[in-house]
Amino acid sequence: MIAELQSSIGGDVLMGLAQAVGAIALCAAVVTLCRWQAIRVGREAAASMARGLVQMVFVGMVLALLLQGSLLIGSLILLMMTVAAAFTAARRLQGLDGGLLLCFWAIAAGAGTVIAAMIATRSLRADISILVPVGSMIIANAMNACAQAAERFRAEIVTHVGQIEAGLSLGAEPAATVAPYLQSAVYASLLPRLDMMKSLGLVWIPGVMAGMMVSGASPVYAAIYQFVVVAMILAASGIAGLVVTVLMRSRVFTTAAQLALRPTEVPSGSRASVPIESERRL
Amino acid sequence: MTKTAKSDDLGDAATLTDSSGAGESRPRRAMTVLETRHLSRSVGQRLLVRDVNVQVSAGEILAVVGPSGAGKSSFLRLLNRLDEPTAGTVLLESRDYRSIAPRELRRRIGMVMQTAFLFSGTVSANISFGPRQRGEAMAPTQIATLLERVGLSGFSDRDVGNLSGGEAQRVALARTLANAPEVLLLDEPTSALDEASVRGVEELVLGLVQERRMACVIVTHNREQAVRLADRTIVMEAGRIVAAGATREVLHDS
Repeated sequence: MIAELQSSIGGDVLMGLAQAVGAIALCAAVVTLCRWQAIRVGREAAASMARGLVQMVFVGMVLALLLQGSLLIGSLILLMMTVAAAFTAARRLQGLDGGLLLCFWAIAAGAGTVIAAMIATRSLRADISILVPVGSMIIANAMNACAQAAERFRAEIVTHVGQIEAGLSLGAEPAATVAPYLQSAVYASLLPRLDMMKSLGLVWIPGVMAGMMVSGASPVYAAIYQFVVVAMILAASGIAGLVVTVLMRSRVFTTAAQLALRPTEVPSGSRASVPIESERRL
Repeated sequence: MTKTAKSDDLGDAATLTDSSGAGESRPRRAMTVLETRHLSRSVGQRLLVRDVNVQVSAGEILAVVGPSGAGKSSFLRLLNRLDEPTAGTVLLESRDYRSIAPRELRRRIGMVMQTAFLFSGTVSANISFGPRQRGEAMAPTQIATLLERVGLSGFSDRDVGNLSGGEAQRVALARTLANAPEVLLLDEPTSALDEASVRGVEELVLGLVQERRMACVIVTHNREQAVRLADRTIVMEAGRIVAAGATREVLHDS
């Protein structure tokens, strides 16, 4: 394993570092151009680039070690990625009890289903060196869809408290009062993925295809495989968006069918802005 | 007996019910439909509604008046359980409302809010919304009759986006009435309307409460409106009742 690591820190690494220097030089030129227009981003750009380079070199070294490991290690890596993704997405759900768990289940359901389907259909080899990079791509997209759907759903509910409570006051099922907002939230979370699918090959040639072609695969097969990956990303995103909003729906109402996610009751005139309260569930 | 109470704790709610201040033309009150017992709600350290005891009978209108932030709307929201009491309870026809399924409870205790909050679509779709939630269809003739009663004949196919404020509020009222509620809660229903529309809605409410023998609770900041509509009035301040009794006496005294 160590020998493998040493071999990966060979000539390729030196060549990579030289390319990184070239990229940094180009960025420095842009920073200088910005300075000419009194836009001062030099310090921040330097810090960001240094941090990015160190992080990526570190990740590369860790992966060089891990990719020699078993499928179990690969699965654990994907699980850790899912947990990290849930933490990131749950930031959009502050104030809602159990937001972290909702996001975890949504991302796990989306990414897990799709990765399992890809392995079952042999679109993805159960090999850690392929499973981890492709899986991480799917998890990242499921995370984005989950966060976008959750944030949109929450915003729609808070904006439409009056309509929702009017429906409740007329004896409607809580789920029926938020159905239009759930639909629009899931749709909105899928839009970037749908646009990505539409522009595939026309506006951009994604990384997987480019990588496969660089490593000598047939361009036609690489293109079809890229379509498969983007379609799976769309599927994972759809599942994650649906699961998070459906789980949220059960949390935004109490068992007495009261809307829990609503502006705090404050006597009018006593405070300019009102936070969102999440009442104790009954 | 007509009696005006002014106290932090009004004690036995029956004294309020007995103190009917109905005008001579109003019929004698029937059975108590809605009763609150030590009804309270607090959020964090704030007491929004504190130990409110009232009774409302069939065919009676109770006005709730008081300054902004007095807890009037918070009190009204507790009555159809849009919010949960932190102490006390509400009885609907002598039954603790927590033992009634929330959807059934809200069908029986209808509420019209300050803003109409109509659902996008036609007037008829809004009117039939409540029955539709229970899997019941409303016949076009039933919708037409209801619209005629609220002064909106021929509005059935209109898009709600084209209604005036007064028309929208009448549709909201008709939509609530389509559920045939026993109690009607009105939260400042005319606060956004012009004077002519206000009078129209008031006459409508008076007529409907008498016809349908509903118990009605109306929150209003307008004392003249309380005089025009309500048999009895409670005045709320800082979440509690500070005066209660026949409307003219309560509002004159306070």
